[in-house]
Amino acid sequence: MKESRRGEKAVEETFRALFALTDLRQIFRDTKPTYELDEEQRGKVKKILETVKESLKIIEKELLGDVHP
Amino acid sequence: MYILKDIEIRAREELFINIHPIQAGGRLTPEAMKALIAYGDGYSVCDWCREPFRLDKIKRPPIEEFHAELAKFVGMDEVRVVPGARRGFQAVVSSLVKPGDSVILSSLAHYTEFLAVEDAGAVAREVPLNRNNVITAEATAEKIEKVKKETGKLPALIMIDHFDYMLGNEHDVRGIAKVARDYGIPLLCNSAYSLGVMPVNGKEMGVDFLVGSGHKSFASPAPSGILACTKEWADKVFRTTQMVGDVTGRKFGIKEVEMLGCTLMGANIIAMMASFPAVKERVKRWDEELKKINYFLEEFLKIKGNKVLSEMPRKHTLTKVDTTQSFDLIARKHKRKGFFLSDELKERRIVGEFPGATKRWRLNTYGLTWKQIKYLSEAFQDIARKYGIEVTEKS
Repeated sequence: MKESRRGEKAVEETFRALFALTDLRQIFRDTKPTYELDEEQRGKVKKILETVKESLKIIEKELLGDVHP
Repeated sequence: MYILKDIEIRAREELFINIHPIQAGGRLTPEAMKALIAYGDGYSVCDWCREPFRLDKIKRPPIEEFHAELAKFVGMDEVRVVPGARRGFQAVVSSLVKPGDSVILSSLAHYTEFLAVEDAGAVAREVPLNRNNVITAEATAEKIEKVKKETGKLPALIMIDHFDYMLGNEHDVRGIAKVARDYGIPLLCNSAYSLGVMPVNGKEMGVDFLVGSGHKSFASPAPSGILACTKEWADKVFRTTQMVGDVTGRKFGIKEVEMLGCTLMGANIIAMMASFPAVKERVKRWDEELKKINYFLEEFLKIKGNKVLSEMPRKHTLTKVDTTQSFDLIARKHKRKGFFLSDELKERRIVGEFPGATKRWRLNTYGLTWKQIKYLSEAFQDIARKYGIEVTEKS
């Protein structure tokens, strides 16, 4: 049961990271071809990157925590 | 980068300004892209399919609710999502038209309208354009009279494009609806290039059927489309199966014959649903899209020799232009021929023009930001100057 829960969190964070990167895709679309970001867009990119990093940390901990303490 | 060794990723929307004439309105919202990630598996929407076992009745995810809201949004009584506008044409024609019947079409009708008529064994009769390349109510009435005189009976159906795919011109749907009512002929409006990018209301236009395209104008993946109708026609077009297996005695519940049972499944329907809130908002900004295309064309026309073949000022972002007296003069002498323009555009991170075309070609600016519109305008002027084509201050 505990292992199942651990997997669920990792799966959820995988989607969270993918969705955040999808938002990043939209920023590329909005700013192409020069990719000059305004302040609001820079803020969004920072938040996206933080979300992805956080999700990756959780995934790593949930899936590899036992082998990489 | 590749998904497999021979399937490359498609990143042109992230890397380039894409002015392809028919791709603009179908670009996905981020929400639709997320839907594709989460609902890509084949039967992904069927996990909670319960009685009466039909896709448009599924409550989780809220597909049934989406249908009801979509009907309101398009101003019609009943709606189904279908695999592309063409399947909407086919369902209506198959229900209303018999072999040998005549069907009135626009001279700028999409080829799939012709195929739907052919599939039914009927005859397509085209309404000619006026000198502004627009289908009028008068021309439609004249064609109806002509068909009646030649065949001894009225056409079984009229199919008219709201905005056509070739010039992006607006056709007189309201006027034609009045003519159709006067003759008692049902009217289908092909709104593949309008429903989802601008406000469209079927009942306000007076049409019996409204057909839209998800991948052309509803920020949805292909194939996806919308078929809507008034309640008067719902029982005919969305009739349910009466078939019984002669050996097994099987019946098939409330599956709809023209829909061949369940309609648009999986990631495509969820992506449409995911884009819907953004689509509802974006149609309110249509005037801004028109300001952008008209600004772009004003700048484009400052290039000596450039012309616009679509009606002006633009009422749609899809536009046909003529550069025979500008870029084509360069192409005639250039070693890359017409591809010089594609090369120059690509160098400036712009794609979507018909490669090699420098005479008459189409573009679409829908969804570009003002910054991108100005970049695009300057890019064309920059190319013109590079090749010695005069760019004036006034268009």
